[in-house]
Amino acid sequence: MKKKLVSALLIAAMASSLVACGGKDDTKDTTAASKETESQAADDSAIQTLISKTNGEVSLRLWCSETEAWQNVMKTVVDNFKAQYPDVTFDISIESESEANAKDDILADPEAAADVFVFASDQLAELVNAGAIQSLDTTYTYNPAEAYSENALDAASQDGKLYAYPLTASNGYFLYYDSSVFSEEDVASWESLVAAAEKNNVTVGMEMANAWYTYGFMAGAGLTCTLSEDGKTNTCDWNTDTGYAVAEAVQNLCSSDAFVNLAEDAAGPEQAANGNLKAFVNGTWNAEAVKAAYGDGYAACKLPTLNVNGQDIQMGSFAGYKFVGVNAYTKNDNFEKAWAMVLAEYISSEASQELIGEATAEGMANTVAASKQTSPELAAIGEQSAYANLQVIGDNYWSPAATLFSTLYAGTDDVKKAVDEAVAGITAEVATE
Amino acid sequence: MKKLLNKIGKYFADFGKAVAKGDIWTKLSLVIMGAGYIGRKQIVKGILMTIVEACVILFTTGVTWPFISKLNTLGTVQREEIFDPLTFESTVNDYDNSLLILLYGIVGIIVIAAFILLYIKNIKNQYALQKQKEEGKHINTFREDVKELINGKFHITLLTLPSLGVIVINVIPIIFMICIAFTNYDDKHMPPTYLFSWVGWKNFKSLFTNSISVSFGYTFPRILCWTLIWAVVATFTCFIGGILLAQLINHRWVKAKKLWRSLFVITIAIPQFVTLLLVRRMFADAGIVNTFCSHVGITQFLKDIGLLASNYSYIPFLSAKGWAHVMIILINIWVGVPYQMLIATGILMNIPEDQLEAARIDGASNRQIFWKVKMPYIMFIMGPSLVTSIIANINNFNVIYLLTQNYTTLDASLANSHAKETDLLITWLFSLTKDYSNYKMASVIGIMTFIICAVITLLSYTRMIKGDKEEVFQ
Amino acid sequence: MKAKKIWGTTWRHLLLIALSVFWLIPIFWLVLTAFSEKKGIDTAHFIPEKFSLDNFVQLFFRPDTAANFPAWFKNSLVIGIGCCIISSLFVLMVSYAFSCMRFKGRKALMSFSIILGMFPGVLSMIAIYFVLKMFGLTNSTLGLIIVYSGASGLGFLICKGFFDTIPASLRESAKLEGASELTTFVKIVIPLSKPMIVYTVINSFLAPWMDFVMARLMITSKDPKEWTVAIGLFNLLQKTLASSYFGVFCAGGCIVAIPISILFVIMQKFYVEGITGGSVKG
Repeated sequence: MKKKLVSALLIAAMASSLVACGGKDDTKDTTAASKETESQAADDSAIQTLISKTNGEVSLRLWCSETEAWQNVMKTVVDNFKAQYPDVTFDISIESESEANAKDDILADPEAAADVFVFASDQLAELVNAGAIQSLDTTYTYNPAEAYSENALDAASQDGKLYAYPLTASNGYFLYYDSSVFSEEDVASWESLVAAAEKNNVTVGMEMANAWYTYGFMAGAGLTCTLSEDGKTNTCDWNTDTGYAVAEAVQNLCSSDAFVNLAEDAAGPEQAANGNLKAFVNGTWNAEAVKAAYGDGYAACKLPTLNVNGQDIQMGSFAGYKFVGVNAYTKNDNFEKAWAMVLAEYISSEASQELIGEATAEGMANTVAASKQTSPELAAIGEQSAYANLQVIGDNYWSPAATLFSTLYAGTDDVKKAVDEAVAGITAEVATE
Repeated sequence: MKKLLNKIGKYFADFGKAVAKGDIWTKLSLVIMGAGYIGRKQIVKGILMTIVEACVILFTTGVTWPFISKLNTLGTVQREEIFDPLTFESTVNDYDNSLLILLYGIVGIIVIAAFILLYIKNIKNQYALQKQKEEGKHINTFREDVKELINGKFHITLLTLPSLGVIVINVIPIIFMICIAFTNYDDKHMPPTYLFSWVGWKNFKSLFTNSISVSFGYTFPRILCWTLIWAVVATFTCFIGGILLAQLINHRWVKAKKLWRSLFVITIAIPQFVTLLLVRRMFADAGIVNTFCSHVGITQFLKDIGLLASNYSYIPFLSAKGWAHVMIILINIWVGVPYQMLIATGILMNIPEDQLEAARIDGASNRQIFWKVKMPYIMFIMGPSLVTSIIANINNFNVIYLLTQNYTTLDASLANSHAKETDLLITWLFSLTKDYSNYKMASVIGIMTFIICAVITLLSYTRMIKGDKEEVFQ
Repeated sequence: MKAKKIWGTTWRHLLLIALSVFWLIPIFWLVLTAFSEKKGIDTAHFIPEKFSLDNFVQLFFRPDTAANFPAWFKNSLVIGIGCCIISSLFVLMVSYAFSCMRFKGRKALMSFSIILGMFPGVLSMIAIYFVLKMFGLTNSTLGLIIVYSGASGLGFLICKGFFDTIPASLRESAKLEGASELTTFVKIVIPLSKPMIVYTVINSFLAPWMDFVMARLMITSKDPKEWTVAIGLFNLLQKTLASSYFGVFCAGGCIVAIPISILFVIMQKFYVEGITGGSVKG
């Protein structure tokens, strides 16, 4: 009975992929069909077919983060993968590629990119648009719908098709602070935080020229800034009274000497260790460095609130995942592409995610694996996640938004003009030809 | 102009004459290029020539023709792949890749063009050979031909490989990028998945248009302006700094000249990108220089005299307009002066002693000697290289790119076209290609940069190309 | 007069000391950080609190997934040597042809080369990548050697200027004795152009140690074993790595400086002669 169901689903998946290539008119049907298949996993018989079909060595290239923790754990995972399929000889090389750069390097020449790669979720849209990432119409070894939250699956899908498996869910930001300086009340709002910092003669900060972080101010006030329906331009409503008020409030906040602009990612942990930066906005990747800097005082919590027009507004944030995807240009002469898909599945499987989570201290996307992890920074991510939005934004967002908040930090007499200009830039048309 | 036309006319007339008056061997060479040589007993040469012909024909029909034939559209079939999750088989259609069509098309056309030149030259040679034979003159054996290649025609031997290198690494890519400027190759038309096509002069128009969606017209003049200022200032500060430093070290009262020189030269020994990345860290907003300045009170002092806005807690050495511009030039002095110092030292040492003697006998002071004798001599030697330096600075990628990675522009219009105040044309086009895949606009900017460089060179540099003084020294 | 000399000597030396301190501060910082015990950037102290050799030990003996200095060094060395040989040969060949021989189209070719040299290199990189890919040479040392030295023939100007200063009579007398152009080139001109060769050798040897833009594009492999020193060191300052590899980066910078400094010190004399000798003519 089970077998029958599986093959029926596979045929549905096949049909859907055929339809998908056929034309754009049918996208709606496709969506429905593939949604259905995604939610079901096939059993091992499909993999058995694949094993029996494969002859000779299957060589695959895998890109994942260059940090030692990632590279080591990936090696273990790949070894486990090989052990899982002893009948096939694999030649899998693990290469170092930062998730943040994956898209740039893949798009430069997809044929020269790795077959399986880990990348940051915000790159998905561009990878899909460029046709560089393989859609994963069938999952053979587990059921994604059971393994991941709906949000994670939505983030990994476009037009109803799944393109990648969520790996980590901690690509977000929150507040690190030194609990020997600030109390829990202090870190609840920017105002109290800055006041306490001024009193103790220490500083607090965030990267104001990085639009990824500053998004949180506007998003917290309920303003939207996101990719439009057309998938190219952005929609942004910051140029409203609320938006101006938020900008004013941010400029006020920045006018304090205790609030510093961190020039780059490394500046936070660095000033925490060497300077008197005692609270700052950053993410899990710097957890070790911050722990070392704050020692026993090490603490993390959700982002503070901001007082706008006398109202405390919880700061929002971008949430992001790390995904594992398969290159659409992987050859399939000896079923490399098929194996790449199986490998991507294996890397994102519950068992592998537990290993990865343990080794890298990142919060995993698999719900079971995630439930076994505990740490202050993951708790903070969890707290913040209620106010976080998935990062769906077009390229035009970054420069103008960074400019806006840099301007606010430097101080301007005409906040309204600065916001208007930024919105004009963010929502600028993208040349269609 | 008329001269040129005449030349071209004669070129083809000679060819026509060779074909018309050629004997059977010469005419046979029209089809089999080596036939004539074989007929005149130059067997090896004949075989070689025929092999070349065969290779070119095979290469063109077998490899490049499919691409050349699609050059007019740059491809019409988009890639489609179907992966069958049941059988794990995947089928890919026979798709076109615009990028490869353009590139291989260019390669193919260059090969064909070269072949046509060779072909015409060959027929003319055959005819000349025929005449030689009729007049009973000596016809070279293969051995003699080879010998000629290391003697009278040695330049051909010398130039073949380097030219080939230049064509592959330089000419083909340049033609390719010029072509890109006339296509719509950008992030929405990325091969291999998508096709791009010809759009004519549209991209050049948008470089000068300024609208909500396209702010290139706003950005381009500003970036161009700073590029030129930078090139001139950077060149002259380094040049003058180098001469002054060399003059200082070479002064007869200064002890341990070698030591001083070596101290400065150490800075050249460390790769530029290492020092630049390091210097950027030093002058970062939270860098060690800022720590120092705020401890010593310089930051406060700057605020007091109004050079620094009061809301800054640090000096934005490399992150604010104005500050960054000045710092970049200062850091460039730091990078460039030791090198110029070396060169200037060499020149100063080579000043003919008799000129200096003569000046001293005339009772000139040291200062007068420097300005009246040394400077003209230095200018005479370095003048042409100053122009090269200006061109090099227009294209000085490293300094700007590495130093301003953390710079965020406050100008929304600049930001809309992905530029910032400190960008040069070259760094701007680099970020357009690398971060935004906007190859079409990058190519247009590249062509503009090229034109600017070419104009500067032609205006000031023709003397050198003419090479009219070549014989003077010989 | 004597007082003037003392004063003149003093201020000159003082100025030189001030200038060299200014010039050497970043270098000191590089060296100090390399010997620091800390792995990240120390913005609070110029002189590290604790010294250690660990950065160097890690650089040489603990290659990991981010830093594999021995392999980088080897790659750069191979590429550097390859480039030296090819570039020097090409430059000498082109210069001789343009300077010492007279043939049809010589001036047109020279003008054309000068114009070609003005096209921004950054732009054509993407095309060079696909040309290399066409020959299957991406990700290989051979490919990088070709990229760095292929167009070196264009850099003939200085060397040609130098050849122009070699008296033509030397060559002519050789020819009268029955020497071919090849013999003249190898036996007479090349021995005379030592400074030029040194200049070209140094310049072309340095390319793979300095360039990270082109190399990063041509080497698509993300396996650190395949990188050059420049790609590798540049990569160490990535967001995720900078906080734990800054010290190693500095150590790498110091090590790279050693061979280059030695080259410079030995060749300084030639180097100066080479540049000026060539540009005397301009």
